[in-house]
Order: sequence, then structure tokens, then C-alpha cells
Amino acid sequence: MRTYFNDLPKTALGASYWIFAVYLVLPLALMMAMSFKDANFIAFPIGNWTLSWYGKVVQDKQFLEASLYSIGIALATTVSATIIGVWIALLVSAENIWGKAVIFALACLPAVVPGLINAISMRIFIRAVDIPTGTFAIILAHTVHAVPFVVIMVLTRLRSMPANLVDAARDLGADPFIAFLRVTIPYLMPALFGGMIFCVLTSIDDFVRTFFLGGYQPTLPMLIFAKVQGGMSPEINAMATIVLVVTTAVGVYAEHITRRSRS
Amino acid sequence: MLDTTTQPPSVGLSTVPRYAGWIGKAARSGLYRHTIGLLVESRRVRLAVLAGVPLFWIAMLHIGPILQMANISLLANYPPQPDKSSEYTLANYALFFSDRLYFLPFVRSLIFAAVVTISTLVIVYPVAYYVAKIVQPKNRMRALLLLLIPFWAGELIRTFSVIMLLANRGALNVLLREFGFIDRPIPMLYTFFSLSFGVIYLLALYMLLPLYSAIEKIPTPLIQAAADLGAGPFQRFRRVILPLSKDGIVSGCSLVYLTAVGVFAAPLLLGGPNSVIFPEVIATLFHGSNDKWPEGAAFSMIMLVVSLTTVGLFMRVVGGRSVRLM
Repeated sequence: MRTYFNDLPKTALGASYWIFAVYLVLPLALMMAMSFKDANFIAFPIGNWTLSWYGKVVQDKQFLEASLYSIGIALATTVSATIIGVWIALLVSAENIWGKAVIFALACLPAVVPGLINAISMRIFIRAVDIPTGTFAIILAHTVHAVPFVVIMVLTRLRSMPANLVDAARDLGADPFIAFLRVTIPYLMPALFGGMIFCVLTSIDDFVRTFFLGGYQPTLPMLIFAKVQGGMSPEINAMATIVLVVTTAVGVYAEHITRRSRS
Repeated sequence: MLDTTTQPPSVGLSTVPRYAGWIGKAARSGLYRHTIGLLVESRRVRLAVLAGVPLFWIAMLHIGPILQMANISLLANYPPQPDKSSEYTLANYALFFSDRLYFLPFVRSLIFAAVVTISTLVIVYPVAYYVAKIVQPKNRMRALLLLLIPFWAGELIRTFSVIMLLANRGALNVLLREFGFIDRPIPMLYTFFSLSFGVIYLLALYMLLPLYSAIEKIPTPLIQAAADLGAGPFQRFRRVILPLSKDGIVSGCSLVYLTAVGVFAAPLLLGGPNSVIFPEVIATLFHGSNDKWPEGAAFSMIMLVVSLTTVGLFMRVVGGRSVRLM
């Protein structure tokens, strides 16, 4: 009886973990299951099973175009956010610069501003500087959103870097730029890799910024949103399942790589 | 006599980097060497290169849009039209406080975000504690990864998957009917319930990670010592674990609250006519035929200031140091 009472909190905590895990996985599992339903509408129970929705999605030109468009935006975002993020991190980590704390706080500003406000202020901004809505505006907004995270990841890594590494390179004859290219960048690689994967996934996932800044060409989330609003069929489920499997695979792979490089 | 032929290689500029390929070619070019020379010799040039792009970016794209939004929120008309005045005015802010149509969704949004934050904290805390303290260290990463995997799915897909569970012919209703608990489906979708369910589903990660890392840092001997001194489970939690995980609680709550205030896709898909929250109201002012940018900008400013102030006060009162993402 006594041991039972002692174990009670532990059992309850274990139960809370498993209930939470089911809560997280169940809706996605249901969504994936529904993509195999052999009917034109979404409803349980699933009577007959089919793979035909996948065949349909794979041949769907709209889906393929939206995927390519989203991937292109994600890559452009990743490149620009990484360059600017590293640059800001180098500035903040440099010694004897006035107002470092303020610069860092402002660099992180877009991470704490609610996404909707971020999107709206960018919409207002691009009108003020005469940038049309469309691809470039989307990339700009996604980059603004991703930069703070790159800065934080790179700064964390930079702080653990022994200062004498760069000094040694300079003593051996490397100029500042070569030292940066051949010493600092390789040392930052794990953080850069993590940051890049983060940029790709948040950009592909983003809805609210694209909603306000996008042109007529839909990105992947916009396409799924339009399909959900326009009446639902298991085709959306098949589409979402494909996206889900690919992004999860990328995410888990990145997790694996960063963990391995850390240990 | 000094033997001048065996001088050590001089440091810095005079050494030519020996790289093959285009990098070497570029590194030996006159332009590159001139630029680097400037960089090495002058502190001012070095500072300009280091600070130029970052400061320009931050000023232009982190602060600029918000300043421009603040500017427009004070204008009577935008974009400027020849037949209408474009003076500065506070009318857009006054409109917010005078019209219940705007004020009510705003209050609803704040309460909604607070409820979601507290529920997420209560749901996630035991889970984070279990993973951080009870799971064996060698299994810990695996236990955490199982919870992280669903979050790679993305905002819209997760929102959509909630519909599968809660719709009238969704899994939950069909299951309940199958077992004979109900005759006709309970309308769960397009209500506050489905909206909260979905938003908690979306944001639980932002609570989980800070809580996990805060609880993991609590030394286990401290908890054991409290037990040895006679503290029961509840007292151990109240007096030891809770105070020591305060940083995680503050970070998690701030992140969830700030995101929940501005949540946008979820209300469009999961909310109904009775659960209109502020982001939808703002969005309609920017979209469609009734293009009312000054009002929208003013409302956005109010939302930004109020949500950041709330979080700032919360952090000051509870006493966390800073918002951390991991």
C-alpha cells in the first residue's frame, strides 16, 4: 500500500506523458489515414481504402508548382537570413562596440513581435518603399522572421569558440577575411546547419506573412489553405501527408546531424 | 651579421596565401589585397564593414516597418488622396475605444491568449517534468524526440488535422456514437473549444522546450534532500521544483502568449462566428474592398503595445530574467 502511494506521482506523470504523446500524434495519424479513403468526402469511418489520391496529387500541376515555388522561396530565405544573421552575430560578439545590448535586442525584435503584426508592418513597409507584393516581398518577410533565430544560434556557438583560434590563424599569415573563412566558418558549421534547416522549415511552413505579402502564385500553405476553404476531399489529406512526411524527415535528419556533431 | 635570407616569414600582408583555384586567384588579385590592406590598417574601415550591413538591416527592416506602421496609424487617410485630408489625427485610436465591434474581439483575444497560456502550462508541465527527471537519461532524447516529431509538420497541416478529430463526422464524434454515448454529433468544430484545442496543439512546443531545459537543470539531490527532510510530493513541488523552474515557466508562458495573441490561420480554419478574435478583425481592414489601412495600423499598434507590455509586466512580476527559446 505504501509503495503504491509512493509510486503514484510517478505513475501519474508517466500517464500524462503518454496521454500528451497521443494528443500530439493522433490528429496527424487520423489525417494520414484519411488520405487513403476511397470516397470523395472526408468523414469517418473509412470504409474502403485506396491509393488513388496520391496518384492524383503527384500529377497535380498546381501542387508541383506550389511545392517548387515554396522550396525556391525557402532556399532564398535561408541564404539571405544566414548571411545577415552571421553578420549581426559577428557585430554583437565583437569586443569594444558601443551599445551591443541594444543592437542585440533590436536584432531579436521580430522574434517577439506577434506574427500577424510582423506581416502587417511589412505590408505597410513595402508599400512605403514601393516594392510590389510577390516573391521578393515574401522572401524579405521570411528573412526578417528567420534572422533573429540565426543570430541566437550563431551567437551561442561563437561564445564557446576559443578566441585564440583566430589569433593563431592570423599569426600564421592569414588575413582577417581568410581567417574568417577558414577558421570561424568551419567552427560555426553545426550552428549554421541547424539555423539553415530552421530557416527552410519555417519558410515553407509560413502562412500569415505569405497571406499578406504574396502575389497571385500560391505557396504550399496557401494552396492547402485554399483547398481546405474550398471544400474538402481526401486529396488535401494526401497532399498534406506528402508535405508532412518530407518536412518531418528533413527535421529529424537535421536533429540527428546536429546531435552527432555536438557529441 | 644578420643573415637576411633566413628571416622568419613576415606576418600579415606580405604573405601571399597559397590557395589553389579561384579562391587563390581572387586572394592574389590587387583589388582583394587592397581591400584587405584597408581592413587591417584602419579601425574605422573595419568597423564600417562589420557594422554597416547589420545596422542598415536592423534599422531598415526590424525598426522601419514598425515606425512606418505607427506613422500611418496617426494619419487621417492613407494612401494620400487629393480630395481627402491627410493630417495627423488620433481618430483611429479613438475609434477602437468607442466601437464595441473592435473593442470586444480585442478583449476576447487577450483573455483567449491568457487561457491558452495557462492551459498549456498545466498540460505540459508534468510532461516536461517526466521527461527531464523520471525518464532514464539514455532514453531521454528519444522521449523528447517523440514529442518533437509532430511539430515538424507545420502550422497549417496541424490545424487541418485537428478538423479530422473534431468535425461532426470526425473521429471523436463517430467513436462516441459507435459506443452509444450520443445520438447526434456534438458540434465541437468552429467553436471556442476547437480553437483553443487547435492553438494549444500548435503552441505546446514553445512551452515544452523551455520547461524541459529549466527542469533538467534542477539538481536531483536537491529534490531527494527535500524528501529526506520529510517534504511530501506536493511540498517538494511547491517549495523546491516550482521555484527552481521559474525561468522556464516565464520563457514558455511569454512565448506561448505572444504567439497566441497573434494567431491567424487557426481562427480562420477552426474558429466560428462566435469566436471572432482580434487578428481576424485587423486582417479584414487590410484585405478586400474596405481597405482601411490607418485603422488597421492603429489596431495593430494597440495589439503590439498591449501584448508586449503584458509580457514585460509578467516577466517583471514573476521575476524571470529573459525570454529564452531553448
